Amino acid sequence: MTSNPAKNSQARRPIVSQAILAKIFHWLNIISLLLMITSGLQIYNANPVFGGRGGWQFPPLFLLGGWLAGGRHWHFAAMWLFGINLLWYGLYIFITRRWQKRFVSSKDLKALQKGQNPKRKAYAWHRLIYTVIIPVLLLAILSGFGMYKPAQFHWIVDMFGDWQALRVVHFITVPIVILFAIAHSLLALKVGGSRLIESMLW
Amino acid sequence: MRPIQSHLLSRRHLLQLSGLSSMGLLLGGCGLNAFEGIVGKTFEPLNQSVEALLLNPQKPVPEFPASAIEPEALLINTFGSTPQLDPEKFRLTVDGEVNNPLQLSMADIKKMPLTSMIIRHVCVEGWAAIVQWNGVQLRDLVALVQPKANVRYVYFKSADGYSESWDLASALHPQTLMAYQKNSQPLSADNGAPIRLASPIKLGYKQSKWVTRITLVSNLLTSRGYWEDRGYEWFAGL
Repeated sequence: MTSNPAKNSQARRPIVSQAILAKIFHWLNIISLLLMITSGLQIYNANPVFGGRGGWQFPPLFLLGGWLAGGRHWHFAAMWLFGINLLWYGLYIFITRRWQKRFVSSKDLKALQKGQNPKRKAYAWHRLIYTVIIPVLLLAILSGFGMYKPAQFHWIVDMFGDWQALRVVHFITVPIVILFAIAHSLLALKVGGSRLIESMLW
Repeated sequence: MRPIQSHLLSRRHLLQLSGLSSMGLLLGGCGLNAFEGIVGKTFEPLNQSVEALLLNPQKPVPEFPASAIEPEALLINTFGSTPQLDPEKFRLTVDGEVNNPLQLSMADIKKMPLTSMIIRHVCVEGWAAIVQWNGVQLRDLVALVQPKANVRYVYFKSADGYSESWDLASALHPQTLMAYQKNSQPLSADNGAPIRLASPIKLGYKQSKWVTRITLVSNLLTSRGYWEDRGYEWFAGL
């Protein structure tokens, strides 16, 4: 927030604090996504989306479960944590109207198009990025559900075209989430410094 | 100097964060693997009740046009050898807690009403193939042997030693077939000749090939199936 590098800036820094529910959401989301991604890559290796049998596989460092059945056990356990966490958070941001106050707005989009203030633009980018990840997380659930129960929810598979397209979309959410985590951290750092990041975690 | 210093500080924090996440990955890669069995056993009952709830035992899964068949996509998976069974000598035993146990030849089975379906076969490994299966509905075979009222599960024994067990509702689904043709051609030995299970509502490992014995029971036995005994989920519904 402070642009002048004053010597006593420590004392003048405003206290950054976050709602406890936002912190809980962040922690559960980080943990569940780590479990979902690592177990998901374990499942991926059983038959790589790109290349099928004989296709390139992820090294064991990034895998969870040890073998296909173990990866599936973790994936279909962590999905509850991931899904329920996203669900209550969704309800929370709608009920508290946080959705309108804390997420990207038309003002941010205007700032991005016409704004001159680089700080305002960074802030707008920050809000834009963490807003658009939400539909990506929902897409991961939708595509995953289509793959988990393709007979009972055949219309989900049809929505994506065919089985391979569904697998590609579900997989693509992994690099998107990883890139998001990096961009989100860097933008938070740019907008609010390490204090902002720490305020969301601790 | 200040801005540079604060930049360095930020970078250190970023490194801390990345250290935290890679620690998570390492934990995942080593320590947590040991818990997969516990995690599976803990969540399987919950997932299974959701799967059973989602299953509509009477409603057929929408099928595909003949043009959608992918003749090359169905990969061959076996756990051991590929039995070569003589279709003339072959007998399918249907028994268990039933009033009228039967032994059927392929000729007997081919006299029964033929059902054809073009469905998506989904493997636990992640691949899928659109296949046409032709055969008899398992529910017709079950009706022939007159099961007792307490029957709840169906066991399948295969010529290669493979075994499977299904819940009765899934076994009686109209698209659960004992198939003897694939894509309108007689089954090959690799695909389970002379007769195999085929269904759009279960993962591929539930769909036993070279089935020689179908046994209707009221309770699951100690062994619930070849892969299930090794840790795979039992219901495996789609």
